[in-house]
Amino acid sequence: MNTDKKEYTNPVGKSVPRIDGRGLVTGQAKYTFDLKLPGMLIGKLLRSPHAHAKIISIDTSKAEKLPGVKAIITARDTHLIKFGSNEYFFPQTIDQMAIEADKVRYIGDEIAAVAAVDEETAQKALSLIDVRYEILPAVFDMTEAMKPGAPQIHDALNNIALILPVNFGNPDRALKESDYVREDIFYTQSAAHCAMEPHVCVGQFETFSNKITLWTSTQAPFKCRESLAKCLKMDLNNIRVIKLAVGGGFGGKLEMFPMDFAACLLSKKAAGLPVKITYTREEEFSFSRRKHNMIYKIKSGVKKDGTLTAITGEVIADGGAYCSYGPTVLAAAMMRIFMVYKIKNFKITGFRVYTNNPISGAIRGFGGVQSGFSVESHMDLLAEGIGMDPVEFRLKNITTPNMVTVNKIMLTTNGLKECIEKATRACDWKNKRGKLKHLCRGIGIGIAADVMGSKMYKAHESAGSIIKIEEDGSVYLFTGAADTGQGSNTALSQIAAEELGVSYTRIKCTAADTEITPFDTGSFASRVTFISGNATKNAATDAKKQILNIVAEEHKMNADELDIKAEQVINKKSSSVIMNFDKALELCYSFNYGRQIIGRGSYNPKTTPIDFRTGEGNVSGSYGFEAQVAEVEVNKETGQVKVLKMWDAHDVGKAINPQSCEGQIEGSITMGIGYTFYEDLKFKNGRVVNPNFANYRLPRSIGTVPIETIFVETNDPEGPFGAKGMGEASLLPTSAAIANAIQDAVGVRIKDLPITPDKILKALKEKDLMEKSKTKS
Amino acid sequence: MILNINKKQYTVDIQGHETLAEVLRDTCGLTGTKMSCNEAECGACTVIINKKAVLSCITLAADVEGEEITTIEGLSDGDNLHPVQQAFLDHGAVQCGFCSPGMILASKALLDQNPKPDQNDIAYALDGNICRCGGYLKIFDAVRAAAEEKSSVKDKKV
Repeated sequence: MNTDKKEYTNPVGKSVPRIDGRGLVTGQAKYTFDLKLPGMLIGKLLRSPHAHAKIISIDTSKAEKLPGVKAIITARDTHLIKFGSNEYFFPQTIDQMAIEADKVRYIGDEIAAVAAVDEETAQKALSLIDVRYEILPAVFDMTEAMKPGAPQIHDALNNIALILPVNFGNPDRALKESDYVREDIFYTQSAAHCAMEPHVCVGQFETFSNKITLWTSTQAPFKCRESLAKCLKMDLNNIRVIKLAVGGGFGGKLEMFPMDFAACLLSKKAAGLPVKITYTREEEFSFSRRKHNMIYKIKSGVKKDGTLTAITGEVIADGGAYCSYGPTVLAAAMMRIFMVYKIKNFKITGFRVYTNNPISGAIRGFGGVQSGFSVESHMDLLAEGIGMDPVEFRLKNITTPNMVTVNKIMLTTNGLKECIEKATRACDWKNKRGKLKHLCRGIGIGIAADVMGSKMYKAHESAGSIIKIEEDGSVYLFTGAADTGQGSNTALSQIAAEELGVSYTRIKCTAADTEITPFDTGSFASRVTFISGNATKNAATDAKKQILNIVAEEHKMNADELDIKAEQVINKKSSSVIMNFDKALELCYSFNYGRQIIGRGSYNPKTTPIDFRTGEGNVSGSYGFEAQVAEVEVNKETGQVKVLKMWDAHDVGKAINPQSCEGQIEGSITMGIGYTFYEDLKFKNGRVVNPNFANYRLPRSIGTVPIETIFVETNDPEGPFGAKGMGEASLLPTSAAIANAIQDAVGVRIKDLPITPDKILKALKEKDLMEKSKTKS
Repeated sequence: MILNINKKQYTVDIQGHETLAEVLRDTCGLTGTKMSCNEAECGACTVIINKKAVLSCITLAADVEGEEITTIEGLSDGDNLHPVQQAFLDHGAVQCGFCSPGMILASKALLDQNPKPDQNDIAYALDGNICRCGGYLKIFDAVRAAAEEKSSVKDKKV
């Protein structure tokens, strides 16, 4: 990095280079994937080959005799404790054991683990473990699973792990009083995270101290520690979870995984030798977590003037074998609507259903991608039904700044209107919508809102930061927030430098290590910039105050009269320079003072708990908004759709690092385009049939779509320097914007993702037949 | 057996079935080369062999004895980043960084063969390299910028 300090003072709002950038481009950054410790063993997991079966017996004796095998664990070595993700809000959904004991519920359920001197030996040992099963009937279709008499996967009635009824106002009456009512059913498919660094961990047990250290590729080190402590029946303070560089997460690395547990327990059994477990790409696709495939039924009413009167519906989510983050995914899929549309009468019931498919969990967008496609497609159809422009329709019904929604969400800054106006202006909506049909081109819009954090596993949602400043003026930031590639270490360092009034080049950032860095719930729900950012800003304020107190004491002034700006301690009123930052630090550490500068900060967003029996509560301290437009061209002969351009106007509050914000938006939209057209995790009898990059298609460089990003800066008073989180929202409306554009181009509506050429051709054919029969009659 | 990696000689004792990716990472300690699929579908393991981008996960180490192998560790000149590395940094083309070593080497190999690639050339050259974080727009920007930087350096020399 250029060490010219002036260039990097007041870094907020500037696209400063990533704090870890040089390490990343030179291959020097160390990921858990790269970790190699002395004496390290290789661990492998034995998985169920059956989708549903009772475990009759497990015999490991042959495997134990294999030379090179150092440890084997089965459920007999565990405390048979269940873990899960939503213990605080949904204790009934804590349903998975790290190593299953009596029953397996999907192809891939972990039932034993081996540590050996090398991978070959570990693999061979797995094949020598003799497991006898009693195969049980299995169910793979979520609607079949809900029928009485379906195979019972857990103790849940009709395999429904969770019902979420959200009900406000009088939707039945409102529908009756509407001028136009329509019902649509949307289908969304499963998908995979595909982080480039696979799930990987190294566990090491210290025999002399009974302590465990786990290095793991995670988005939530503290959550991982909590589940590990629970399953291992150990105290939190005897477990240390360390996050190194992480090669992507996208929601797939939010939990403790059986591999984390197994690596620690295997190490204990192997007298403290470290054990490394690395998922293969096939394991990533088949046995990590996946997106919930959903059926989204939605029925709404409108008045002639476009006013939405009621939204009702039913959401069914295929959860697979265990709950994971399913409950919150389902809740988010239903309740995001309140942040976007002003609606008084609402009734949607959600069902999170067990099947014998692989486990569904969190994935970027948290249910918002499935609901985004469904709701935003439906809104276009409603607008069409009353002959209204979809943009005008949305502008009439969207939420506004400083409003309380019917379910008590407190919206403060809200740039949704501006997002819609700016996106539609940029794409020339007025001159394009409905006017490009002769070219088989069309344009479509989708809008979305997102939270800045969400309490998922604790009563609080706080983050903490520590900033120590040493006598040479180096600023060390310690945060528990998990940078998984999105650049949070950079954004937090910018916030620290801005608040301290120093150059960004002074900051060194350590994140995250549960024994060193303050608690942080993790990287999810677009929360880090907002929540961890506030904690970091508070820590910087505290550190600055300590410095200014000493300068004030020395100069017999009042500390309130001083500030630090652009590396100088100044008199606030006169702006005169008192001393530079380096001199101030020399003073702090001088003979007379000798006071260490250690700032601390904590932040817990002002929210109210959600009552999941009703859907009432204010989940986030602020909300982000966005509008997205897609322009497409449809080839009527082949059914192929080409996305010509995407526009994205995003209320980011304040772009701390505009380049990183663009990166988040471009990454989200790219992922959204993949999901719209081809990303499709397929199963046959519970087995993933496309567990590799050759058969699971995802966006590659050919076919990259131009994206125009527009920042709407609403400067949220609660955000650090006005910033909001923004890592997920741009993914939510992409599928709908494209589907809406396709309808504009060729007049067909696709309601089940992915949108394949076959579906387009079929819809075009049906439309042709309809039109012909109309002209005949 | 001797491998010539980043202009240094590595004497390695390897088995016939070991891939170059494994030997680079496990034997030589050059962990900058990543592996994400291990079946030639993602490009994370890309290295340069005799100026050509090659997938080291399907290249047997034994087959490249005597060849000139460049990994990400061999690209910068001391503290000075290679123009492609610098461009990736400047243009925000790096997020999690796991695809970056392969992406940067594939880009360098392209620019060595085609100093003035258009968008299409870049997209085709990088199609075997998956980036899941940020899409490809910023990567294209970086490669174009590196090409311009390279040609302007050449012009100056002339």
